[in-house]
Amino acid sequence: MKQRAPLAVVALFAVAALVVAGPGRSAAADVIKFGISTPLSGPAAPWGIPHKQATELIFEEINNQGGLEVGGKKYRLEVVAYDHKYVIAEGVATVNRLIAKDGVKYISILGGAVAKANEEAINESGALGLTLAYAEGLVSPKNPLTFQCFPAPPETTTFWKWIKEQHPKIKRVASIAPNDDTGWWSVKVETAFVQKLGYEVVAKEFFERSMTDFNPILLRMLAQKPDAISVMASPAGSVGLIVKQARELGFKGRFVALHQIDSSVVAGIAGRENTEGMWVHGYVQTPLPDKLKSWQQRYTKRFGEWNATSIDFTNPAFAFVAAVRKAQSLEPKKIGEAMRTVEFDNLWGKAHFGGKDYYGVGQQIIYPMPFSEVRDGVATLLLQLTPPHN
Amino acid sequence: MTFALFVQSAIVGVSLGSIYILMALGLTLMFGMMHIINFAHGAVYMLGAFVIYYIFFQGGAPYFAAFVASMILLGVFGYLVERSIYRPIKGGIEPTLVALLALTTFLQAAGYPVFGQLDKHVPPVFPGTRNILGVGISVERLMIIPVAAALVIALYLFINKTRLGAAMRAIEQDKEAAALQGVNVHVVNGLAFAIGFALAAASGALMAPIFKLDPMMGEQPLLKAFIIIILGGLGSVPGAILGGLMLGLIDSIVATALGAEPAFLLSFVFIIMLLLFRPTGLFGYAS
Repeated sequence: MKQRAPLAVVALFAVAALVVAGPGRSAAADVIKFGISTPLSGPAAPWGIPHKQATELIFEEINNQGGLEVGGKKYRLEVVAYDHKYVIAEGVATVNRLIAKDGVKYISILGGAVAKANEEAINESGALGLTLAYAEGLVSPKNPLTFQCFPAPPETTTFWKWIKEQHPKIKRVASIAPNDDTGWWSVKVETAFVQKLGYEVVAKEFFERSMTDFNPILLRMLAQKPDAISVMASPAGSVGLIVKQARELGFKGRFVALHQIDSSVVAGIAGRENTEGMWVHGYVQTPLPDKLKSWQQRYTKRFGEWNATSIDFTNPAFAFVAAVRKAQSLEPKKIGEAMRTVEFDNLWGKAHFGGKDYYGVGQQIIYPMPFSEVRDGVATLLLQLTPPHN
Repeated sequence: MTFALFVQSAIVGVSLGSIYILMALGLTLMFGMMHIINFAHGAVYMLGAFVIYYIFFQGGAPYFAAFVASMILLGVFGYLVERSIYRPIKGGIEPTLVALLALTTFLQAAGYPVFGQLDKHVPPVFPGTRNILGVGISVERLMIIPVAAALVIALYLFINKTRLGAAMRAIEQDKEAAALQGVNVHVVNGLAFAIGFALAAASGALMAPIFKLDPMMGEQPLLKAFIIIILGGLGSVPGAILGGLMLGLIDSIVATALGAEPAFLLSFVFIIMLLLFRPTGLFGYAS
């Protein structure tokens, strides 16, 4: 006798499949399809979701104004997004799918390891790559159409010069970062920079992104008596736990987070008092520039929940639109050429692509990077610094 | 590694171990009873934590009321899972594993639209730290030890001193024979699901103020719980206790001495070595 699968199990599979499946889009005339390969589920989803949403919001606003004009013709901008779950194999599959199946010529990829794994696919297809990723060698002459769209460690570590001048008592530095390409490169760049400034790097620890109990590695780190702990490249949730657990173990020094991080999430997990004095890149709560206030309102209205990470994740869309307007072409190569010279507005001010003296190619976004200090639980703008590799 | 650092890491290891024990309890109970590995354990742990977030933090209810509510709600959910998934499958091990895996995938994927994208937090219930032999341990971590002990004792008494517990043990030994003796296997299985889910929820509810909350927060505890129940012997509560403590100490002492990665590798090397000499784990037995 044949056994029939119970209805509840079949329904469960069907719903699970629907929930995890990526969105499919139909082709339409006069549409510019912009691909996104980003983590929409899994531990990195809090980065991937605002990446997709920020791009969608900017494109929707342009579409509502009639679309993007290229060569006298108006185009509607459409996002084709796939979830790579921050898994390299999925990242490669999603980019291949975007290129081969969806015919997308412009792709924004989030995640260092995923962006690195897709170098060849992007280069061979001649697609334009707009990355939000920390990875060694990603911005280089061998990737002629890859543009890095937020400040990376070679830019943000310049803040250590300010720390050196303003807080000379800090001498011993410890680093903790995720155990992957992103974390390794970040620590490597930061260590080289701070050592050049005369700091002693007393500990370097790496953790799996799923880790929640940092007590053992913090105990090992704190035995070296650091004055400051850098959490470069660590997600906000992990930083919250690191700060909380380090304070419980008796650490009294400063935390330094020179990457895109929402310090309110950190304070929520670690407690306001524990984050006091923490230095942060890319996140400001006060004084909030008008442009950012407006973005916060529009984003919250559209998606129901504010995510400060979206601020820097607007850059691929802003850069793409500006370069297409300048190139007046939809050819990735021509857009890439325009990208190297175009100046555009992002949420922090004027932006362009540069960094040739450091990377050998001018494909790293440059704009006045904001740095904050957490005071009474609020990320308070200290200063904006121009990256050293202009 | 100095002696003082060794002592400090051992203290952290015991605190870590008590967290691990709590995570492994529900999993080992369900395996012992029904010989199924509950892949949904991590997702239920996550839901248990989110119940605390909504009832205690957002709703303003007292923490222990929210804790009990979490256990009851997820216990009922466990019973419903037994009714709607396990029972129709007729207790088949492989189909149950796959169905529970699907349930996990669904709960995790649905978590982001339901709970939001950002990591959530629950304020400390027992604030402050205590200095034990030079190492600061948060009071909320210390509280896990008595709560874990209370749950272990309650579970032990329930299984060994009550009629329902006796029925559970009878089913564990021989389902058909137990049924012939008048044990309602479906009801007892439903109860085992309810208790297993409630223990996972208790674990998540206790961890909520200590860690952060996100839909994937159950993955790491699930992995640790698997390691512990294999180490301790599948289905053995004393095994889960000893396994949890051993893993906590390895994770802490080795990670403090050598770093997190060697500790992770060493825990697996240790298990492989142990299983070579004792394939059923510390307290397991061949069925």
